[in-house]
Amino acid sequence: MTTMDRKRTFKISISQVILTAVAAVVALLFFLPFAWMVTSAVRPGEEIFRFLSPLSVYSLIPKTLTAENFASLLNGEVGRTVFNSIFVTALTVVFGLILSATAAFALSVLHFPLRSAVFAVVVISFMIPFDAIAIPLADTFRAVGLQNTYAGLVLPAIANGLAIFVLRQFFLGIPKEMVEAARVDGANWWTIFSRIYVPLSKPALISAGLLLFVGQWQAYLWPLLIVTEPSMQVAPVALAQFVGQYQSNFGTMFAGATIVSLIPAVILLSLQPYFVRSVSSQGLKE
Amino acid sequence: MNNDRTRVPIESEPSRTQDPADKRAQRRSSAARGGREGLVALLFLAPALVALVLFRLVPAGSAVVTSFKSPVVLAGVSSSFAGLDNYKALLTSPDFLNSVKTTVLFVGIVVPLQTAVALSLALLLTRDILAAKTWRLFLFLPFSVPLGISPLIWGIGMRPDGPVNAVLTTIGFEPQRFFTSASQALPSIMLVVSWIGVGYWMVFLIAGLQDIPNTYLEAAAIDGAGPWSVFFRIVLPLMRRPLAFVLVANTVANFILFAPIQALTSGGPKGSTDLIMYDTFEKAFIVGDRSAASAEVVLLLIIMLAIVIVQFRLISAEGTT
Repeated sequence: MTTMDRKRTFKISISQVILTAVAAVVALLFFLPFAWMVTSAVRPGEEIFRFLSPLSVYSLIPKTLTAENFASLLNGEVGRTVFNSIFVTALTVVFGLILSATAAFALSVLHFPLRSAVFAVVVISFMIPFDAIAIPLADTFRAVGLQNTYAGLVLPAIANGLAIFVLRQFFLGIPKEMVEAARVDGANWWTIFSRIYVPLSKPALISAGLLLFVGQWQAYLWPLLIVTEPSMQVAPVALAQFVGQYQSNFGTMFAGATIVSLIPAVILLSLQPYFVRSVSSQGLKE
Repeated sequence: MNNDRTRVPIESEPSRTQDPADKRAQRRSSAARGGREGLVALLFLAPALVALVLFRLVPAGSAVVTSFKSPVVLAGVSSSFAGLDNYKALLTSPDFLNSVKTTVLFVGIVVPLQTAVALSLALLLTRDILAAKTWRLFLFLPFSVPLGISPLIWGIGMRPDGPVNAVLTTIGFEPQRFFTSASQALPSIMLVVSWIGVGYWMVFLIAGLQDIPNTYLEAAAIDGAGPWSVFFRIVLPLMRRPLAFVLVANTVANFILFAPIQALTSGGPKGSTDLIMYDTFEKAFIVGDRSAASAEVVLLLIIMLAIVIVQFRLISAEGTT
């Protein structure tokens, strides 16, 4: 051990140890249900409740490891719903970003009458939580035959006022001189948008993309309202219905829960700063 | 990660900083290109604007219209104008009043509770402690579990023969009924949504705490201020904006809470968890009374707008201090 190391170890004070212990206990308590979900997914279904009384290490840690839950999940009906979730969310992010970025470009760069009125529509639209108007909208969607379609699942989610807001705020920070210079060189507005604004706005595009991703991946009420066909359902709703139907098959349920939780966990944890900035921007004065 | 590059420039003002020459150039050319630029703007805006109007504003409007119509009793018979009848029926219905009461109770407990715990954890995890990043990650992880899934995990975990009761009996308590008990169901739902929410809101409060300039805290330390007076005199006033955001956003989120209720209790037992969003859903799809459901949607929208107005008040009040 070098003197440097010894000094550093020495600097850990009693209060630091106590605070770390408190943080660790609280954090592990929050982590426990997540851990239980994952370990229940990789053990045989009948083991989940077997080692609970009396409590032992095997209450949480699997005695036998198995992939059978994942296999039966992906071969069954629920497997298709995992694909639905991924497909619907990917479409939402791609189309949502195109819509949001073009609208944000118009609202931050172009001059046109009623610009502030249009911007007000954008702000009002993200102040109204989607679930509050989901029920009347679902009636309209059914009336025009959009139930049990991917379009029905994707369309409402691509209209995201907050994503437009986040992108507009970023676009406003891009120097106008660049636009003027490009205009002098004869560039049209589409070129300015796609060659100047989009490449310069990666952080804001990631932020807006995350908003669209979370909005769609977390969706529960909307798919429940608009999808009645099991093969068209998204995974979280399908899993909830699955539990209702097959009371005993918890291993498969946990395997599905693990898959649909780990995908957003990896994405959100690796891009968390972008997400925090985009969500909290709605709380700041325009 | 480089903060300067990732920061969304939320504070910048629209084109106020243009220099005069720039503005002159714009005015000169605007006559020639004004009409065309407007047309271009329309093309850029149209897809998003159509989507926002169709999928956000129109359904709100159609709820208002339906709420003034009498319920459709027979298929094929169109409903007639009913004035305020649906609202009158709603506001005198014990079921609806119970929903409102339950929702207010739920929000009134869960929001302050979550915010206080989230703030405590944010303060703890911004101190100089070991492995702070790891603890933050563990606390944020529940948010990544989809809203439809976390109630399932807790529903199975809190079954009569589940692990939560196993822990309770091991440490000498009676097993509890949780979601099937009229007195325990609502607190159990609070536990589930707090498991999801605390780490999520904490992340925004940590971001707020990290924006407090270190020089303020150092100056306070030099002046010999104790930890409590630093918290109340410096930290709390500077945290007003993130705290206001968390309070308002959390209130909105809990007011329209749906998934845990639908997945765990269906509003029961005995209406003890019949939160307003679930009640609306039940009216529309189980009872089948679209008019009553629409009136409820409209009332919900009015409450949401009131919360948004409070939010703007909170933020602009801060601007004057």
